Amino acid sequence: MTSRPLMTLQVVVPPPQKLGVVPHGTRVIAPIASGTFEGPRLRGKVLPGGGDWTLLRSDGVLELDLRITLETDDGALINMSSFGFRHGPADVLAALARGESVDPSRYYFRTVPRFETSAPAYAYLNQVIAIASGDRRASGPIYTIEEVL
Amino acid sequence: MFRRDVLKALAAPLVAGAATGRPGVAPSAATGDPQAANGRQVMNSRPLMTVRISAAPAQKVGTVPHGTRLIVPVTGGDFEGPRLRGKILPGGGDWLLLRGDGVLELDLRITLETDDHALIYMTFQGLRHGPPDAIAALGRGEVVDPARYYFRTVPRFETSAEMYTFLNRIIAVGAGETRPDGAVHKIDEIL
Repeated sequence: MTSRPLMTLQVVVPPPQKLGVVPHGTRVIAPIASGTFEGPRLRGKVLPGGGDWTLLRSDGVLELDLRITLETDDGALINMSSFGFRHGPADVLAALARGESVDPSRYYFRTVPRFETSAPAYAYLNQVIAIASGDRRASGPIYTIEEVL
Repeated sequence: MFRRDVLKALAAPLVAGAATGRPGVAPSAATGDPQAANGRQVMNSRPLMTVRISAAPAQKVGTVPHGTRLIVPVTGGDFEGPRLRGKILPGGGDWLLLRGDGVLELDLRITLETDDHALIYMTFQGLRHGPPDAIAALGRGEVVDPARYYFRTVPRFETSAEMYTFLNRIIAVGAGETRPDGAVHKIDEIL
């Protein structure tokens, strides 16, 4: 597989909403208050209103289901959604849960973003498969997103 | 290295039109700049399996609200990789949607049976698009070099078989090739 950098996305997550045990696992909804993204071909900010509807499965894997709106510096709106997984050794996940900084190579945090836009300058986003590597920070995750070539 | 330099380095291959260019490693976390640290290439992959799908002629549903719908029943096939191999059970399919922008969306559901009799439910979503002549040739059932078009998918798996539960928690990417009697997908696990 070959890829090239698409953007780095950093989102700010206020305290999550802990819904507790639901039929498919433990649901935690992380609202996204703001953020920024920057790459060779686009940059801008994350609009408030999105979130990550996370589900902790019984096998210890956290499923991620994110929806946010990006606004580029030239005013285009991009709908981004992503599905992903986060899992790792118990001590590492516990440290993350305590809000500590952990080397992201110590756990698996990968997502598959998809994009939707009507802006001609960014229409290529409608046609790419992308993958992202996440780094969970206390203030919110940082995603390094690559376009699959 | 400052962030601006990183971005310039990342952008260079794009400007040159060399899509395969990957930036070298960069800036270390030692600079204390988290943005710079993000410039590292952290996405590695390894082969998971090659899936060969045999398909029946498409059911042409025609124009629907989201585009043109084609349903391709899967009749069988096989898969093989370093850690698993077996056959595809009949009964699945690919619910294709040709969008207004010329992109074909794929939405596949199949069941894999390994050679040691585990069942694996596999789905993928994907995109296929390319130059009109290449897509037209595929439409006529001709063999086209897959480098001439973009055909990428993101497979997901579900299984209860202990030996294969690693599939339940990986992100994977497939590179597809349309053949006259089906498709071949080379699937990599994202590490």
